[in-house]
This record gives sequence, structure tokens and C-alpha cells, in this order.
Amino acid sequence: MKEDFANIVRPLLPNVDYCSIRFVSRYSNIINATRNVVEPVFISEDEGVMVTVYNDGGCGYGATSNTSKSGIKSAIESAIEWADFTKNRLTYYPKISGIKKQSGSYFTSEDEQWSKISMKDKADYLLEVNRALKSKSSISNWGAGIRYNSIESQFIDTIDSNIRQKLSYILPQMVVSAEYKKEIQTRTYGGHAHARQAGYDFIDTIKMHDRARILAEEAVALSKAENCDDKIIDVVIAPDQMILQIHESIGHPLELDRILGDERNYAGSSFVKPEMFGNYKYGSECLNVTFDPSVTSELASCNFDDDGTQAQREYLIKDGILQRPIGGLFSSQRAEMDHVACSRSCNWNRPPIDRMGNINLEPGQTNFSDMISSIEDGIYLETNNSWSIDDKRNKFQFGCEKGTLIKNGELKSIVKNVNYRGITESFWNNLTTVGDKSTFEILGTSNCGKGEPNQTIFVGHATPTCHFKSIDVFGGV
Amino acid sequence: MQEYFKKISDLLFNALEKSEILILNFDAEETDFIRFNKSKVRQAGKVNQVNIDINLISMKKTLRSSLRLSTDFKKDKVLIIRTLFFLRREVNELPKDPYLMYEKNQNHSELIENKGINSFDITMRILDISSSIDMVGILSSGKIIKGFANSFGQFNWHESDSFNFDWSLYDKNGKAIKQNYADQKWNQETFARLYEDSTQQLSVIGKQEQSIEPGAFRVYLSPSALNEIIDMMSWGGFSYKANKIGSSPLHLMAKGEKSFDDSVTFSEDLSNGISPRFHSDGFIKPENTELISKGKYEKSLISPRSALEYSVTHNAAEDYESPVSIKLNCGEIDNSKILSKLDTGIYLNNLWYLNFSDRNNARITGLTRFGCFYVKNGEFVGPINTMRFDETMYNIFGEKLVGLTNKQQLLMDTSTYEERSIHSSTIPGAIVEDFKLTL
Repeated sequence: MKEDFANIVRPLLPNVDYCSIRFVSRYSNIINATRNVVEPVFISEDEGVMVTVYNDGGCGYGATSNTSKSGIKSAIESAIEWADFTKNRLTYYPKISGIKKQSGSYFTSEDEQWSKISMKDKADYLLEVNRALKSKSSISNWGAGIRYNSIESQFIDTIDSNIRQKLSYILPQMVVSAEYKKEIQTRTYGGHAHARQAGYDFIDTIKMHDRARILAEEAVALSKAENCDDKIIDVVIAPDQMILQIHESIGHPLELDRILGDERNYAGSSFVKPEMFGNYKYGSECLNVTFDPSVTSELASCNFDDDGTQAQREYLIKDGILQRPIGGLFSSQRAEMDHVACSRSCNWNRPPIDRMGNINLEPGQTNFSDMISSIEDGIYLETNNSWSIDDKRNKFQFGCEKGTLIKNGELKSIVKNVNYRGITESFWNNLTTVGDKSTFEILGTSNCGKGEPNQTIFVGHATPTCHFKSIDVFGGV
Repeated sequence: MQEYFKKISDLLFNALEKSEILILNFDAEETDFIRFNKSKVRQAGKVNQVNIDINLISMKKTLRSSLRLSTDFKKDKVLIIRTLFFLRREVNELPKDPYLMYEKNQNHSELIENKGINSFDITMRILDISSSIDMVGILSSGKIIKGFANSFGQFNWHESDSFNFDWSLYDKNGKAIKQNYADQKWNQETFARLYEDSTQQLSVIGKQEQSIEPGAFRVYLSPSALNEIIDMMSWGGFSYKANKIGSSPLHLMAKGEKSFDDSVTFSEDLSNGISPRFHSDGFIKPENTELISKGKYEKSLISPRSALEYSVTHNAAEDYESPVSIKLNCGEIDNSKILSKLDTGIYLNNLWYLNFSDRNNARITGLTRFGCFYVKNGEFVGPINTMRFDETMYNIFGEKLVGLTNKQQLLMDTSTYEERSIHSSTIPGAIVEDFKLTL
């Protein structure tokens, strides 16, 4: 980040109703080792600016990877040109007076900086993990990787805002497949769940090689396991599956831009209507969901969103009742509702839209042992491997890598190809018990896709283990 | 832009040491994105982005860096030379890459198609025609550039203007029709005809909703709907490596234990020129690779890395080994008689959010979305409620396939993640029996 960015850019700000300039610098490094071979290491350095202009009833943006003074001037001209063109042709023109001047910063805490560990040491570590994964003869595929991303941004505008943030996150990954009589079963770690804002110290804490041996044993056992039966039973869902359930059937349907119709051509709309906020019974009384940017090390923690709105914790669902949508300042103005700081973009080259930040299910009072012992006939589900939900976020079907049968209050044998399906509007009302803090995990996914033009972004989800009654569960072919 | 790429390529090649090899991939786009909601502009702007991938090879070791460029040579020069020095220092720390393969022959190519697109003019035309209807969608328009150069002297260039307008029309009950118009030059007559087609379908979708219960149905899958299923098939189905390690949904077919109907022939067909034929390591891709021939698994897409790992011959597939321009051959169902051939069943224009229910057995799930109708005795009755399906690819393209239509549709990928996609597919429709709807 250029220290003098604000000084260079401020004199360029045009005389319009409102203009913001967001500079983003991204660094990515991906190291993978697959079947005991280090794959080509990938490094990416990216920087650019997004200029947004609101003027006289029109809005436009200009984005460029040319961060020189002439490049930024050119982006400002593009933004003004589109703002002129869209005058009185916009779906909505915001109340500029509602935009507040903000100054501040946010930096991810990295106890051990990624750059301090050599590429060789990282590669050697992943080869060690590979050897732990290939611990059985029937293991047919295995691999491990680490992805590090660092996103540094500076936001300034025509009302003297100045915000600097640097978010860094790490995504470890492991995959191991076992084959038995042409049946191939896979266990994974990381992937869709275990991303955290952290430095390399996070890798030290998760002990990938120890987990690798367990994953390998589970993959072998699953390849020989029975298919899951088709039946309606109680399910206990582990945090690494709960996050997909929260993401798809709470997070997305509460996004205000979907409710307002912006996403109808692509990601879809929502079964949630504006009049449902404040009174709709989304789930049972033990369902409490927050938008919480303040959780240390959770993936989308920050102090400001990409439109410069200050971030703070808010309840989305309290005691089962729907409270507020996931809508940024401008969407909330459109809908005349309360906002959260969720206007986010994946990079400098895409405009901010309503996005999940950290969407968390708050812990309850029941420990894992008591939860299992309360169930006569059920199944414990771990690790998502398939997700599908309709465009209004109602009819869903999810698959899990591993199921463990629960009989008379005890965990029994494992089963493979576990899927379950349901309807959001009724599913959360079947939430019977919410796990306590001992079952609570801070997780997150790095690849939530949405928007036109398309954007992939990282979102955080923290959740305990949860128990649902009467769920439609089924197996493979 | 071509001269700029040559200038920075020369700078890098001249800075190489004797034992070093350099492979460069260049991507640039100048795109206007205009997003619509309720027949007005939701967001509009221009994105200019330029990128170079620098792959340094030294002593059978490799390290790659992707850099965003400013096109300010003075600024970029510092960045790319610094990066070359960094790669040179770090590459020696890495182990040798046993699967490293790159083209040493020189296969030059150049394709430049600049027909000129005025995004403001197109946007005006779209707003004018849709003012009385609830339209939502995205127009992406402008230039896309792909370039390749290596230190052996090969140079390739692929540059074209294009647009992709992807939109939906909604009626007051929330039912919608989806349509797409993509080309290199805007033709108002073509657009007006497509728009008129979709507004006419709105009148059908405005009829009473037909509530469907779970069960097995005779269905027509439009090219767009079938393309969603083929997309899932491409999650490893045509990958040599995925078939070897078992993550391919078609691994049983690749092993000769399963097959499709004789009428099913898939190929990777690059003859439409939408995607460049040069590989990111310089190899030239064959114009046509038959993947499934008359229902039998014929050949996978094989990357140079897989070729070395498994001691086979590659066909210049990228490392991800999935099609970029897939073609499914036509069948014999007269395209103008789809409704009468379907007789009674469900007409599926669009499927949504597919994923696997049982990957080993090519079983997938997903949902109906835009323009899905109940048909009785060859006549549209009305739109259906959103339904989930759960079916195997072996049923859809195998024993439950009634037939494919005799007309294909070119479908341009609308994806704009990171950059505008240049993938496409050419696909007919299909009629399938006993298609299972589950929820």
C-alpha cells in the first residue's frame, strides 16, 4: 500500500454529489502437494482502484489496474460518463446525506507472518502430510495444500473518509480417497470450512499430519461401509456441515439485494419478504443468529465494509424471530430498513453488493454427550460434500462425507453417501437442541459466488453442533 | 496492447540467464458491465484489467507468478524485473517437478476481430424495448485479449470484441422467462426477435400454476437445461486424471462398465474459434477431440502433466482437464415437433444449482427454474411450481433417453468470475422418460 495514496488521490476527486475511491492490493500464494509431488507453486500480486461516482441522479463506476495518476484520472472519467448516462435511469438513487464520514483501520493479527516461513519449509511440511495421508494401501488419491490471501484496501471519498484495512486469511486443505470394490469414498479437511483470518501460526495449531491419519482411516472405513438408509429420523449436524446449512438457508435468503430483486437473473431471490422482518418465526426458540464482524480470527471480521460503513454486531434472528436483513446502507435505504455493514466486493474490479460477513449461530446449553444420549434413533452428519438449494432458498438438499448412526443414545457404525433434504421454512423449526460453547467452532468458506458481474468472496460462519428432529435422510444408488 | 505485451516479453526474455526458460500468458479485458433490475440500470461501469502470468523454469524446477499490470511501462518494468529476480531466487528452493512439460516447437497464431461495440447504444436499445416489462439481467460488452509467448520464440494472440446480454422477464406472479443474446456485433433485428420470443412465452407462464407432486415424469430438456447437466458431467467426467483417481462421475463408464445410448456423441470442438487453440504452456489444441462416441467412452482430455504422470499421450488439455467448447451431436427429434413428441410431461427450459447425490454412480440433483411448463397432449398447460430432481446421468443419456433434437444451440458461457469467460457449448435438446422429481 502506498503511504501517500490518499494525498495523491484527494486532489483528483471530482466535483460531484459523492465520489469514493477504493484502492485494493491483493497477494495470494497457493502451495499444493498431491500424491507426494509438490505441484507448481502459484503466487499472485494484484492491485487496482475502483472509482464510484454519484451525481445528479446518476451513478457509474470506473475500475482499472492502472494505479498511476493518469490511470485513476481515466477511471474517474469512466465513472462520470456512466453516471451521466444513467441519470434518471437508475433503479434507485441513494440519499447522499445518509453517507457518514468514517476514519479508521483494521488489521488481521498474524502472530507468525506467512512470508517468514520459506517456500521450501511449507512444501516439505505438505509432503510430510502427504505421507500421513497415504497411510493405507487402499488409499487411491491424496493431497494437501495451503492457500494464503492478503487483501489490503484504502477507502477515501469526497466527505473526507479515510479507511485502511488489511485482512489476511489461511485456508488449509486435505483430501484422501479410498477404493474398495470400485467404491470410492473421500474425506476432506479444510475446503469448504476451515479458513481463518490468521498467520502461519494457524497451521501450527491444526496439526494437519495428525488429522491426516484420522481422515485416511475414515476414508478406508467409509469405502467398506453400508449405504445410508432412506428414512425420516433425528439428525445431529456437526459444525463443518452446519456452516453450509446456515450459509444457504439463512445467509442467502436474508440478503436484501435478493429480496429487492437484483439477483433474480442469477443467484436468485428469496422466500423472505420485507414485511416478515420483526414478526416471522424463522425457527424454533433456540435459534439465535448474528451478523458479527467482531469475532477474532473469523474470516470476514473487519471494522468497515467496502462502501465505508462501520461494522457492528447485530441480531438477524433472535429467539427464532426474524429481526433484520443482510443489507448494506444503500439497499437498506431502498427498502427503508435497518442496515448492517455488509456491502462488500471481491476485489477492486467489482462493485460492492450485499454480502454475508460473519453470520453466526449462537451457542446454546447442551454438550455433545448429552445431545447424543437424548436420541433414540438418529444420525450424526459431518463434512459437506454436496449442496443444492432453489432460487428462493427454500427447497434444499445437502450431502455429507460421513454419517454415524445413533442408536439408543450412543454413536454406532458409520454409513456412506448420506444426503438429507428439506424446506427452509420448516427445517429451522425442527431445531431441537443447540450445542454449548464446547461444540462451537469458528469456520468460514472462501468461495461464495454471487452477483452480476460475478464475484467470489470469503464469508465466516461460527456455529455449535445442532440437533434437528424428523429430517428426510437418504443414501446413494 | 499486442505491442505492449511484446515489449514486456522482450524485456523479460533479455533478462534471462542461459539455463532458464520463461513462459508468459497475457490476459486483458476492457469491459462495460451494465446491470439491470426492474428495467432500469442497477449498476453500470467500466473495468480495465491487464494481467501477465510469468512461469520461470530452471533445472526442471518451476515457479509461477501472476501480476496485474498497469500498462505504464515505467511502473510495470520495475514490477516484472523484481518478480523475475524473486522467482529466480525461490525456484531453486523447490524440488524438481517430475511432471513438467512445455512446448519447445514454435506454433505462432494470431486472431484479431475488432468489430466495434458501443455499450451506451446497446444499453439504450435494451432500456427502450423493456420499459413496459419487469426485466432483470446483465450486459457485458467489450474487448477480451489472450496472449502467449515463450523464450523459445513462440507468440500467439487472440483478440476480439464481443457482448453477452443475459436477461430474465418476470410477470407479476414472480414467474420468469430467461433469454440470452451473445455475439461479436449487435444486430437489432436478431435482438428484437429474441426479445419478442421471450415476451410471448411470458403469456404462457402467466397461466395458472400447475402444482406437481414428486414422481417420475417424461420431460423435455432444452439445450440450456441439458447444458447444466453436461456442466456437472464436466466436473471430472472428461478428465483423464479424475478417471484415474476415481473422482470422475463417469469413472465406471471410462472403465467400460457403463454406457450411454448409441445416439450420444460428445466432443471438445474448438472449430467455432471462441476459445483460443493455444495451451497455457504453448501446445496447440486439436480442433476436435471425440470424448464419447456413440454412447461409449472414447477419450479423456489429457493435460501434459497427466501425460507424464500416467505415461500417456496428451491432447493439450489445460491442467483442469474439462471442456471449454463441448459439442453434443444432434439427434432425430424434429425441433419443430418437440411438444407433440413430448405429448404429456414437463417442458424444462432451465435447471438450477446442480450437485452430486452420489458421484460414484453419476447421480445428480438440482432444481427447475426459469420457464418450466406442464404439457398435456402436446399443448402448454401452465408453469409448474419449483421442483427438485434427482437422477443419474446414465438414465438421462442412456436407457431413459427418448432422443435428442435435430437442432443444436450455441450457448455462450455468461460467467464473469475474475474475468469474462470464453467458454461455449453447442447442444441440442433431449426428451427423457421417468425423470425423477423428489421434492
